[in-house]
This record gives sequence, structure tokens and C-alpha cells, in this order.
Amino acid sequence: MNLRRWKLRWVMLFLVVSACVEPIYFEVPPAELQLVVEGMITDSPGPYTVTLSKGLALDSKSSLPMPVQNAKVTLFDDAGNSEIFTETTAGTYTSSNIIQGQVGHTYYIRVETSDGKIFESTPDKINQVGEIEEIRFEFEARTTIKPYGEIVADVFNIYVDSDAGAEEDAYVRWRFTGTFEVFTYPELHTIWTPPYTPYKAPEPCSGYILIGGPNGGKLLKVDECACCTCWVNAFEVAPQLSDTKLIGNNQFKNIKVGEVPITPTNFHKRYQVNVEQMSLSKNAFDFFKLIRAQKEGASSLFQPPSGEINGNMNPVNNSESVLGFFWASSVKKNQFLLSEVIFLI
Amino acid sequence: MRVPIVILLLSYSISAHSQDILALKLDGSEQGKSLSEVLAEIENKNNAKFFFLPEWISSVSFAESHQGQTLEQALAYLFIGTELNFFAMYPGTVVIVKDAKQSIQRKEAIQVAIREKKTIEQYVLGDQGTSTKGNAVLKGKVIDSKTGDPLSQVNIYIVDLQVGAATDQMGNYSLAMEPGIHVLNISSIDYEPKVIDLAIYKDGQLDLELEKMARLLDEVVVQDGGALEISESRIGETQITMSSLKLAPALMGEVDIIKQIQNLPGVTTVGEAATGFNVRGGSVDQNLILYDGLPVSNSSHVFGLFSSFNPEAVRNASLYRGGIPAEYGGRASSILDIKSKDGSYEKWNGNAGIGLITSNLMINGPLQKGKTSLAASFRSTYSDWLIRAVRTDYVDLENSSVFFYDGTLKLTHKINDRTKISATGYSSKDSFTLDGDTTYQWKNLLGGVKLDYQISAAHIAEFSAGVSSYSYNVLNSDPLNGSELSFRLTSSVFKAGFNYQQGNHQLNYGWQLTYYQFNPGSLKPTSSVSSATNLSLAKQYSVENALYLSDNWAFQNRFFVDGGLRFPMFAAFGPSSINVYKPAEPLEISNVMDTLNYSRGEVSKMYFGIEPRLTLRWMAGPKSSIKFGYSRVYQYLQLITNSTAVTPVDIWQPSGYYFKPQRADQVSLGYFISSKNKIFEASAEVFYKSIGNIIDFKDGAELILNPHLETELLQGKGEAYGIETLISKNTGRFTWSMNYTYSRAFRIISGPTAGESINNGKQYPANYDQPHIANLSWKYNLSRRYFFTGNFTYHTGRPVTVPLSAFASENTTVAYFSERNSYRIPDYHRLDLALVIEGNHKRKKIASGTWVFSVYNVYARKNPYTVFFKNSGAGIPKPYQLSIIGTIFPSISYNVKF
Repeated sequence: MNLRRWKLRWVMLFLVVSACVEPIYFEVPPAELQLVVEGMITDSPGPYTVTLSKGLALDSKSSLPMPVQNAKVTLFDDAGNSEIFTETTAGTYTSSNIIQGQVGHTYYIRVETSDGKIFESTPDKINQVGEIEEIRFEFEARTTIKPYGEIVADVFNIYVDSDAGAEEDAYVRWRFTGTFEVFTYPELHTIWTPPYTPYKAPEPCSGYILIGGPNGGKLLKVDECACCTCWVNAFEVAPQLSDTKLIGNNQFKNIKVGEVPITPTNFHKRYQVNVEQMSLSKNAFDFFKLIRAQKEGASSLFQPPSGEINGNMNPVNNSESVLGFFWASSVKKNQFLLSEVIFLI
Repeated sequence: MRVPIVILLLSYSISAHSQDILALKLDGSEQGKSLSEVLAEIENKNNAKFFFLPEWISSVSFAESHQGQTLEQALAYLFIGTELNFFAMYPGTVVIVKDAKQSIQRKEAIQVAIREKKTIEQYVLGDQGTSTKGNAVLKGKVIDSKTGDPLSQVNIYIVDLQVGAATDQMGNYSLAMEPGIHVLNISSIDYEPKVIDLAIYKDGQLDLELEKMARLLDEVVVQDGGALEISESRIGETQITMSSLKLAPALMGEVDIIKQIQNLPGVTTVGEAATGFNVRGGSVDQNLILYDGLPVSNSSHVFGLFSSFNPEAVRNASLYRGGIPAEYGGRASSILDIKSKDGSYEKWNGNAGIGLITSNLMINGPLQKGKTSLAASFRSTYSDWLIRAVRTDYVDLENSSVFFYDGTLKLTHKINDRTKISATGYSSKDSFTLDGDTTYQWKNLLGGVKLDYQISAAHIAEFSAGVSSYSYNVLNSDPLNGSELSFRLTSSVFKAGFNYQQGNHQLNYGWQLTYYQFNPGSLKPTSSVSSATNLSLAKQYSVENALYLSDNWAFQNRFFVDGGLRFPMFAAFGPSSINVYKPAEPLEISNVMDTLNYSRGEVSKMYFGIEPRLTLRWMAGPKSSIKFGYSRVYQYLQLITNSTAVTPVDIWQPSGYYFKPQRADQVSLGYFISSKNKIFEASAEVFYKSIGNIIDFKDGAELILNPHLETELLQGKGEAYGIETLISKNTGRFTWSMNYTYSRAFRIISGPTAGESINNGKQYPANYDQPHIANLSWKYNLSRRYFFTGNFTYHTGRPVTVPLSAFASENTTVAYFSERNSYRIPDYHRLDLALVIEGNHKRKKIASGTWVFSVYNVYARKNPYTVFFKNSGAGIPKPYQLSIIGTIFPSISYNVKF
């Protein structure tokens, strides 16, 4: 018996190291040749923005794409109106509130790059959307395995109940954004100069000044702090999309739209949950569905093979590859505050 | 080699008044005397002369009295079973001759048989005096000596004539030969070979019993194994032998039928943990797996790491990958027909094995001696340690567990010599818990009865009825989303098959009926607070019905034709409601125009087909044959999957209003040759296959719990072609086999819009398209009890879809993927070795044990199983490869027979 157990262990040892995951490389065409377009119009007042950038190579160190500048972006509606966007920052083009989105109408954009290539989006329609009725949270105890052991990773799951709207096949997306306050302690800012002793250098906005000697002076409060707190945004991992399976009595019930990790950073002060319920056209729904499949598939043992996510931009006078989506949506917002107090309860 | 030269010197002047000495009547005084004594007496008394070499007849004597018989009759009787013959040269002169050629061959064959300790049996059919003119036909049936089961594919080879035949499915054979003395070698894998010393002078019946090999692990087919492939009548058919299976190196020591099949030419798999196998560019669901005639929907344990058939319970398995016989249908690529073992009718015995992963037990024996037998087997995992030990960054397997079992039960009762009834039960279950939250469970449950009835000597009937059920559940134990997803497919099968033999024709005909009930998916919450909805997709009902007829015709042992027709019919019926979409618009929910409702039993769609089947074999020479096969098969059930490898939670979807049945047409042509002494054999086979109405999924398709799958799936065309080559050495201490296959599998799915096409309607490789496949396997007998075996496998990496770049979408980075299947993962290759040590070979021992030490993936190649994407630090998805068995993997198992 002992002998067998020993043999089992021996083989287990091999199994532990047997399944393995390693990077793999494929020769692919350069990503920099691709134009990426992203933008939307809503039924809320503008300005609306469209960003133009280049594709990111898979071995790129940064996730910040190169902006595409000096292009001409024009928005069209189905009533024959058009509006030219202006480039406000590199690669970001903004409208001037000439056109405002309206439910039931379709919109598209035309992008003309500085080398004369024209791309147009497939027109997208703004459908009606229902209201968010309630946002709730539920505590979930979780742990996660790190190389140094098991740690607590509890979360608040955020659920919404809402009206599914008048559309028969409601294609809805919930966009979840978390905003939380962090303390920055700008008065404790230091500069390290040779011979590398910390040199106190309170930020001017902290309201503190340094008195006494250059290295060992004291901090003296002279004004209110203007930059002691700041708001940080957290975004959803994958788009949350509606599912006809989840509609009952024209109501969406208990839709999990996001989760907030319970960490000291997130709950230093309070955490604001913002949920936008957005109507989608079938095309936009399919586009976000592909993104969701890709984002969620990553954690599944049976990862479905992702397809091409081409979006609705089409080349007009060329055959270049163009990615991205220009979509139109009606948006209803709601928010909810998770404060320290709630957390303590 | 000693060649006796027969010289007869005839220098005698013949007396003119001599009488016909062969007509001489014996008086009985010859009893007890030797032939030479008696002949000398006759010579003296009758002025006759006999010519012979004394040593030929030195052992021949008259054991009994032949009073009243003529000398001719007495000599004919005496010479039966010898190579001696005689003729009257003149009325008073008799020459005893020895047929030199036949005698040499006969002697050699007998000597070989004696040397190899084969059983030699003598039979005499008719007598020389009444010898038929022309050929004598020998017919008979070969059965297992213990179980009485008819044995198919038993090779019957006439050594001196160098022709042979194999038994059919009912164990029957028929051979024509010149009257005279012949030596027959009877061989079948897993059975003790037998040598028949036959004297045949008229048509006759010779039924044979073969004994199962006492030594589990010895390869059987020795001298004439080489004849097997050539005399095998059917193109594209392979018999899987349990004995060679047990000698092959196995992953974790688990002997596996499906893994063995994956090493055959033209068969491949997408990876270690992939369910099933791919045959000649076909998908996994295009293989029909039958267990005692009942369909098995999922043949895997642990997602395909092992297959769900306990090799101890299996008698034999046949794979038909080209020229599929008319009695099989319903799957486009291949048929794997697995037959379970009958229990022994004589005594109880068993078999137990201990491996690293599983233990198994098989017992069988008589409930009523000679009449009723029982065979039962069970196999199960020990614990969850296997899965817990697999640790990857990919999924958290810490809280995972795996469990599986399979069990079989077979009861056989011989009502009389002509009637046998048997009942088979089979059950398998898997449970796989991932990350503590999600449990995947799947189950197969089969039960059936079969009646074999011999209507007359040439007419056999087989009736069977049974039910096969496959179901799976996915349990989510998350408190707020707790749910149970379930799926079930139940097939009720009835079959009536007949086999009629007349002369050189063998007719097979019958009727098959299958009634399918599908529960395509239901979801229910498992807690009162769960947000999961109570949802159940409508059940689907359909019937598959087929009539078939085929004629198996052997012409002069050189030309063999099996032509047949199969008439399948498929009907889907209500209750059901089907969406009608706007004409010329894509099938999308937004385009629904109307709904058709069908009441209970009302046919919503019906398909008829005609499937011609033809196989030809022409013996181009004694050592070579040319074979041809054509078959058309309609497939009415398909597995709907959108992950790279088949998973247990994929959905079986019947044909119906929107899904047309797949239609596969295949032609194959092969040349088979063996070397003069049959040590080597080689074959080459080409095939072309065209498949209509193949199904593939749209990008990002959601298949589970989707009541309108027609909106997520597309139908198109498939095409596959290739060449398969094989060379093997079958005899001696060192035997080996090598095969190489070049084959391609493509699809075209082209619809009116981009959303209804894949890769814009261009041809693309199927995800199991692996152009180059090579396998090498060998066995070296270090001694009678020690074997060193191994195999090497190579195949081209399969196609995958990979990210080409990434782009920003809102605040996340999204990968931009290539067209479907436009890149390939690195090639797969692996070497496995095993050392097999058998217990001693004494026949009279209580138990015999066998140790198998095997090493899987000897040089620790990290063969990618799949490619997936993880976010790198910058949020850009990067491709990673997952290797299931990424290292060298030794294992040990022990089997004992008692």
C-alpha cells in the first residue's frame, strides 16, 4: 500500500509540471497600417467625439495607440444634415452641437485621412431605451491564488432592474463605470536629487509650504488643499449586453452589470457606481457581442475561437483595412454611491 | 532445403496376360500386416508389379480388415492424409507416386506448425474413389470455443494453393479447391492459430472452433499474417485488435481503443484532450460509434483524455472509413462498430487491472453451463488527484475535481443450437468540477436485447432493439446565479438484419428504425434568489428509417464485389413552432415574418435519400490486390460546437426545417501488396470526399439555449482528399508498421451577405485540416515474456484563428483577429515507449499478471493543444499555447487474469 502511494506521488509530481502555458508567435502583417475609428452619437446633447488611431502591434509595450491627425470627420443624418468635426486634441475630433441625435433617426460618419483615403460607416439608428429602475449591490466573499498564497478578494456585485423599453427585440447595453475618491497627500511630495536624500517638495496646490532648512524643514499649512482628493475611473471588463432570456414582463431583473473589488483604495472614501442603459442597433449589438465573446472567452476552458471584429467602417476609395464602429444610441443614466458607511454595515 | 527427387525406373517387360490387379478383391488376411508385406504377397501370387520407394510406405499398414474390398479401394483408404497416390500404368503394374510439390509444401507447413506448437487437426471429407470432378467446395463456420460466438475476419489460407478467404460477420467461409490433400492455416487475431491437414474429395462442411489465446499479450498472426490485408475483402476497413492495443504505450497506462484508432492511416485528432477522432477530413460527429449495435453519443472521459470503453469488455472493433457497408448509415465519415465480449459458457474467469488513474475489474462465466453466460466489467477513477495536480495560469484548477466510471453487463443465453439471445447494458458517467463553481456532468446509458436466429443453414436473422441515452448537465453553484443547464438525446433503435448465402453470393438485407427525442436545453434556477430564469427549449422529435440490401459476391476467389443500396428516410415532426424569415433577408430574429406551428405527430420536414455503396477487390496476383470503394451517406444528426475542440456540452442538432442533412460522397482506390513470404506488406490508398450541407457557426455565435439556432449557423460545402500509405513488417521478433498520410479538408460557406459567409465565401481549411500525418509503431520481443514497444506520431499543426493586432474600444483593448483558420499552430510530434513484462506462460496456473511500464512523450515536447489569448500588461491580448501533456509522462499498470 505504501509502495503504491509512493508511486502515485511520483507521478503526481510529473503531472504538476505537465500541463503548461507558453507564449506563441505568429508572423502577422504590421498593425500600424490599420486605421481604427471609434465614436458615437446619442440622443443627449453633444458634443460628440470620434477618435482616430492606428492599430496596436501585439508586442507593443503600451496600450496607448498612435493618434491619426489632420483627418476630416463629417457626421451625416438621414435628413440630409451634416456637420464637420474639429480636431480638439491629437486624434480626437469633436462636434459643435449642430446635429443632436434623436430617437428613430440614423447617422453615419465619413473620415477622410490626410492622404486622401475615405472611409464611411454603415448608418446606425437610435432606438428607444427604457429607464433603469434600481441599482443594488450584493457582497460576495472570494479568494484568489497568488504566487505567495491565497488572499481575500471580496467584491460587491452590482445588479440593476430596469424597464426593457418599447422595442420588441430590445438590444441593450449597460455601461458600467466606477468612480472613487482617493487621497493624494500632495504635501508629502519629495524630490530625490544626488546624494539621494529626500528633499521635501510639497505641491503648490496642497496648501502647504516648506519652512526652515532646505532638507529638513517643516510643512506649514497656509491655504486649503486644492488637490488632496482626486477621482479615479474604473471601467467594465467586457460590455454587458441584454439577453432575451432575461426579460420577464418586459423587465430586466437582477442583471449583473459589474463588480467592485473591496480594496482599501476603492473604499478609502466612497465609490460611485454609474450605469448607463443604452439602446443598440442590431449591428452595434453584434459588434459588442463579439467584443464580449472575446473578453469573456479568455477565462473559459472552452474558449470559443474569436472571429474578425471588423465593425461598421468601410473603405470607399481604397482597399485598406479599417476597424472600429460608429454607433448611435439612446442613453439613460443612473448612479449609486457605495460609501464607507455602507461598507461598514 | 531438402528436395526429394522422385525417380521411378521402369525397366520391366510387361506380361501380356496379366489381369487388372487393382480390381483384386482382398480376403482379410492383410489385417495387421504392413503395406509392403501385403504388396509383396500380391506380387508373388498374381504376377503383378508395384513400383515405389520403400521408405514412402514403411509406416503404412493395414490396421483393419478390408475383406471384400478391391485393392484400389483399400489403397485409396490407406493413402488418405498422405501425399501418396497411385495409378495403374498397365493392368498388372501399379505405380505409387508422391506429389512432389504438394508434398513439399504440405510437409513444410506441417513442420512449421509443429515447430510453432500450433494445433494440427486432420480431417477427411469424402474418399478418393468418389472424388468429385472439378473443384470441391469447403464451407463452414468458425466459432469461439468458449463462448460459441461466430468469429468474423478469421483467415483461412490454403498453404499449397496460396489462396485464402476470410470468414464473414456470421463466421461463415467458403473455399473452392482441387480435390486432394491440402494444408489450411486458420488464423485470427487474439486466437490460437490452427493448422488443418485436410483430405477433401467432395464438397463438405467443416466447422471449426478457435481457442482464445492463453497468453494475453502474444501477437498471433505469425506465418500468414501478411495475407490478412490482401485477403481482406473491403477497402478502408480496419480491425482493432485488443491484444496489440495492450502492448502499445498508453498515456497514464490507460489502454484506449480510440487512441489506437487515432494512429491508423487517415485518422487523426486535434489534440490529447479532444473527444473522438477525425477520419479523412471529417468532423468528429461524422463518426458513428456503435456499442453492440447501439449508438454512443459521447465516447470520452475527461474531455477526451481517455475514451469511455473499457478494453477488457470489448471483443473486437471494426472501423470502416471507406466503402462503408450498406447495413451502416447515418454518419458521413466512418463507422466504428464495437462488439462486447460474451461471458464464458464453461468456467468463471476474470481480469483485474490497477493503473495510475483507474482500476478495472472484469468477470465472466456461466450461469448455466453451456447455456447461459454473464460478463460484467467496471472501471473507475480513484480520486480527484489527477485534475488537482494539473496547475496552469489558464484556469484555476485548485478547486477542481474529476470523476468518471464506466460499466458493462452482458447476458447471453443459447436457447438452442439455432437461437441465441443476448442483453447488453452499458453506462458511463463523468463529472468535472471547475474552479469550485461549475460542474460539468455527462452520462451515457445504453440497454438492448439481441436475438440471433438461424432460419436455415444458409439463412441467418438478427433482431435487436434498444435505447441509448446521452445527457449532460452544467451546474452552476454561484449563490446568486445558481442554475442547472441540461441536455438530453434519447435514441430508440430497432433493427432487423438478414444474411442469406447462396453459392458465391451472400445477401445482406434489413430494416433499421431510430426514434430520436431531443431536449435541446433547459435551464432552471437552483436557488430561490438565483437570477437564472426557468427556461426550457421545446423538445424535438424525429425518426430515421432505412432499408438496405447488399450482395457480396466472390468470383473464383479472385474477384470480389459488394454492391448495395440503402434507402434512408428522415422525418422531423411536431409539436414544434418554426420561425419563418423574410425572403432574401438573413435569418435573424429581426427578420421573423411568421411562425409555423406543427401539432403532435405532424411532419414538419421529411428527407428521402438513396445511398449506393460499392466495393470491389481484384486479386491482381497471389500477393497483391486492387480495391475500389464508393459510398454515399446522408447524415441527419450533427454536433453543434463553436469551440476549437469538441466538448461534452455541445449540442446534437437533428436535420429539420432549416438544416438539410449532410451528404457525403466518397470514392477510394487502393493497391495492396505483400512480399513473397508475407513478411512485409504495403498499401496505398487515395480518396476524394465531397460533403454537402456542412454546418459551421457565425462569428461570436451563441449556441447554448438558443431556440433559433438557424440564426447562428450557416451551411456550406466541404471537400477532402488525400493519399494514405502503409508499410509493415508482420513477422519475426521485430515487427513494425509505418504509415504516412497526406490529406486536406476544406470548407466553403458562402451566403448572400458578409454575415452569412465565412471568410467572405472563400475556401478555408477545416479546423482539423492536418496535411501531413505520419505514425511509426513497433514491437520487439526481447524474449518470450519481455516486449519493448513504442510509437512515434507526427502531424501538421491544425489551423487556428489568431489575433493580428489590437485596437482601443472605449477603455479597453480589443484584439483584431485573422480570417477563420488562416494560421496554424506548430506541428505535433511525440514519441512513446513501453516495456511489457508478462507473467509466465504456463497454461495451468491460477493467475497470470502483466506489467506495463510506459513513457509518454519521451522527449517532453510541448505540443500545443490550443491557442488562447491573455492580456499582457499593456492590455493587449497576446496568444499563448496550452499544452495538455507538456512533459515526459511515465506510468505503470498491472493487469491480472484469473
